[in-house]
Amino acid sequence: MSTAIGDGEVLAFRDLHTRLGDAVETAVRGKRDVIDLVLVAMFAGGHVLLEDVPGTGKTTLARAVAGALGGVSRRVQFTPDLLPSDVTGTSVYDPQTGQIRFRPGPVFANIVLADEINRAAAKTQSAMLEVMEERTVTVDGVGHAVPDPFLVVATQNPIDLDGTYRLPEAQLDRFMLRTSIGYPSVDDELDVLRPGSGAGRISGVRTVSSPREISEFSRRLSLLHVADPILRYISDLGAATRSDGRLRLGASTRGLRVLVRAVQVYAASRGRHFAVPGDVQDLASPVLAHRLVLTRESVLSGTTTDEVLSDVLATVPVPKPA
Amino acid sequence: MKPLWSGVVLVVAAVQLGLAWDGIPVLFGLSVVAGYGALLLKRWMPAGLAVLTMLVLGFAGGYFACREAVPGRSDPTQVLLDSVPRLLTAARPAPSTPELLTPGLLLVFGTSVVVSVAVSRKSSLFAPALGASVLYVAGALLTAGRTDRYGLVALLLVLLLAVGWLIADRRGPIAPPVGFVLALLALVAIVLPRGDAFEPRKLIRPPVTDVAVANPLPQLASWAALGDTELFRTRGPEVPMRLMTLSDYSGATWEASSTYGPLGVVSAPDLPLGSRTLDALVDVQIGALAGEWVPGVGKPSSVSLSDAMVEPNSGSLVLAEGVRTGLRYTVRGVLDTPQDESLATATVPSGPEVRRYLALPHLPFSLADYARQIVVNARTPYEKAVAIEQVVRLNRRPDADAPVGSSYARLETFLFGAPGSAGAQAGTAEQFASSFAVLARSVGLPTRVVVGFQPVPASPTGDRIVRAADATAWPEVYFTNWGWVPFDPVSGNGSGPSAASKREVLNRLASTTAQPPPPSASLPPLALPSVAPAPVPSPVVSSGFQPLWLLTVLLVPLLLWGLRFARRMRLRLAGPPGAWAYVLDALLLAGRSPAASRTAPDVARGLGPAGGRLAVLADRAAFSPDAPAAPEAWSLARTAARQVRRTVPWYRKLLWSLDPRPLWRR
Repeated sequence: MSTAIGDGEVLAFRDLHTRLGDAVETAVRGKRDVIDLVLVAMFAGGHVLLEDVPGTGKTTLARAVAGALGGVSRRVQFTPDLLPSDVTGTSVYDPQTGQIRFRPGPVFANIVLADEINRAAAKTQSAMLEVMEERTVTVDGVGHAVPDPFLVVATQNPIDLDGTYRLPEAQLDRFMLRTSIGYPSVDDELDVLRPGSGAGRISGVRTVSSPREISEFSRRLSLLHVADPILRYISDLGAATRSDGRLRLGASTRGLRVLVRAVQVYAASRGRHFAVPGDVQDLASPVLAHRLVLTRESVLSGTTTDEVLSDVLATVPVPKPA
Repeated sequence: MKPLWSGVVLVVAAVQLGLAWDGIPVLFGLSVVAGYGALLLKRWMPAGLAVLTMLVLGFAGGYFACREAVPGRSDPTQVLLDSVPRLLTAARPAPSTPELLTPGLLLVFGTSVVVSVAVSRKSSLFAPALGASVLYVAGALLTAGRTDRYGLVALLLVLLLAVGWLIADRRGPIAPPVGFVLALLALVAIVLPRGDAFEPRKLIRPPVTDVAVANPLPQLASWAALGDTELFRTRGPEVPMRLMTLSDYSGATWEASSTYGPLGVVSAPDLPLGSRTLDALVDVQIGALAGEWVPGVGKPSSVSLSDAMVEPNSGSLVLAEGVRTGLRYTVRGVLDTPQDESLATATVPSGPEVRRYLALPHLPFSLADYARQIVVNARTPYEKAVAIEQVVRLNRRPDADAPVGSSYARLETFLFGAPGSAGAQAGTAEQFASSFAVLARSVGLPTRVVVGFQPVPASPTGDRIVRAADATAWPEVYFTNWGWVPFDPVSGNGSGPSAASKREVLNRLASTTAQPPPPSASLPPLALPSVAPAPVPSPVVSSGFQPLWLLTVLLVPLLLWGLRFARRMRLRLAGPPGAWAYVLDALLLAGRSPAASRTAPDVARGLGPAGGRLAVLADRAAFSPDAPAAPEAWSLARTAARQVRRTVPWYRKLLWSLDPRPLWRR
């Protein structure tokens, strides 16, 4: 089936998306927007970078998502002495069979939580990012494919920067979107604190889908209709970031392509079989902000890429229905 | 759709241009249709070649049309090159001769070829506006804007262009404002300078010939002596036949003008015809009449004598070799037929163009004072003229044997001479007409003297036999808007169409009658030269001015409303995106136009549930591959627009349907 996606299929996807969201929300309270974004990244075949302080539920979120889709989730705690092979896996000699056997690393999972990815050495980071891009691990000349779906949720602690290796721009570009969970609202926090609430308990997350179903939807959603005016709008946004004086580096074409992919899934999660300008505006910041590089002056003056992006969104005209 | 629309626009402009010719404007419409033949050619060859071919065809047609047009001019190219100056010096409207029609038809043809090809290409919707403007402006220049006095055709063109842009062209964001402004400018350019319209004819000196023509006034006495001799006979309506119009008076005599040109190729007269005229066609057969003078009727517009020449201002016809017995010709002329009741209040012009009709070199005081006394109670120029006519006629008798002459001295004898002396109180039509003219000029009435023949009743065969005894002279006074009005100081006001109004004037003036100076003053002192006597103050504002502005004031809102209505219809037909545009129009009118970077659902947040639903429908129609029909969109739009309208103050609601700003929004 390669025909354009229709209303019925989209509604089925919205149901699935809602069910997944509801299931994850039993463990992660009051963060539906972040859950939705992570699910969008998963269906769009991208990866998520969570920038947040410790203790906001990053790990819980990743494990809950894995639980809800019935897949495998693994966690890698990145440290300066972590080696690439600790991440990807290594070949070992099996004395029983007398053969060299590949022992898969923690990346062989549907959801991989790369905790504090900026603490690892550049070599390890790049091994991780290579897997994210290629979805294959090559050890001793043999390629080993990671399971499908494959979602990396990496976290970065923006506060404690001593002894960290900042992710270079080229590697940040590999993440489909960057967001932060943030602290919950007072009500949600009370809910989490209340004994026996079930919040943070992964075992309570119901499995509502299967990796196979996710893969199938992911493939189909790439056919969702994005009208030419919307593509032009996205291109205009990219051009506007490239000509903004506060930025040293604007959005790349790859960044814009990723935005289109994310917009397709986002539109379907809203029950539409076509994208609208509002989808682009909703996703522009999480998808594009981490790909922009500020000039030195802008950094010193305290400007953020999110601010620049919201200025750009406020100036580029949206395609009018009329 | 676009070729049809542009064709209609061009046909309207071409027919308007065609009104500058005395013929069928249909020819000009057909010329547009012929020009659209370029579209057929374009199927087989590139557009540029098609245009070139059509233009070559057009010019070849013009060449052959002009080949035999002008006798004695064998080179058609020269005739074609000459045709524009000829057109500018021709009568108005121009006669429909091939060499005069050709430049107009070629202009229309060329314009329509270029426009048709331009319109069939993608982005040239500006072309019809430009083409129509060219044709309209050409027509306006040829007629000094007279064929479209109130700018109605211009308005129609603007309307057609605007409607076309709104319906046929939904893409170009620049063309409508530019075209609209251009068309509006053209309209203003036509409407504003009406008081002193640009006249290209002033740039062209019409071909004239100096012909020494004798003054026929002295002939009056000899004609009177000939009595029953048949001078010529006519067939046609009962109108006075004119022989020669005399406009220049030297104080000693009247002088015939010496500047003549071929009829149809001379410039317009210095003083225009009146607003109410009559066309008369008379067949003439010359009898015993001799001399260069050719009897004509009114202001001649055509004559069947190919070598007859005409004096541009008066319309006097002459034949250089003189008329001969048996000569037959047909003359068509225009006569002023003023309304009596309007004449009573009519004004007379003043200024440089009437100076020659007021000139009285070295006017004697006695005549000036006499004239002043005559008109002392008269309130309007017409009353003055009637009073002078009455006084000149009163107590003076026509006498064929009276001494000839129209010098001041002869006129003083005629007017003031003691009874008994030669020529006192008696004279031929020459003295009656001259006295009237001198007295009238001295009180500021532009006056001239015409030598001609009284209307003659028809014989049973239908011929009107004009005899020598019918020769006479009469003065004419020029009234603004009514043209030259004849007076009859010889036989007075007893009969004729204006008899009743003259009686009315005379009854009012009856209480006062001018007295001639005492007879002792046989030689009154001479007054200082008074070349230009104090003109009668007359209002300059023409009567057609006010309704024009009133019309414009009424038409502009109507035009705006019409354009807004057309836009509304178009939006209604355009489905949900059109309905959404209607809501955006309302927001614009309410001063709440959203930023261009806001999405429809975002904008709709302030517009209630109807606005929200409409925004979703509009987004779906615009960005979905399979937009379903949404009949409810328009009613949602109206609900949302009503909600917006409710928020504006009352004075903005007043202009809500006329505000042109949405027309600029695409």
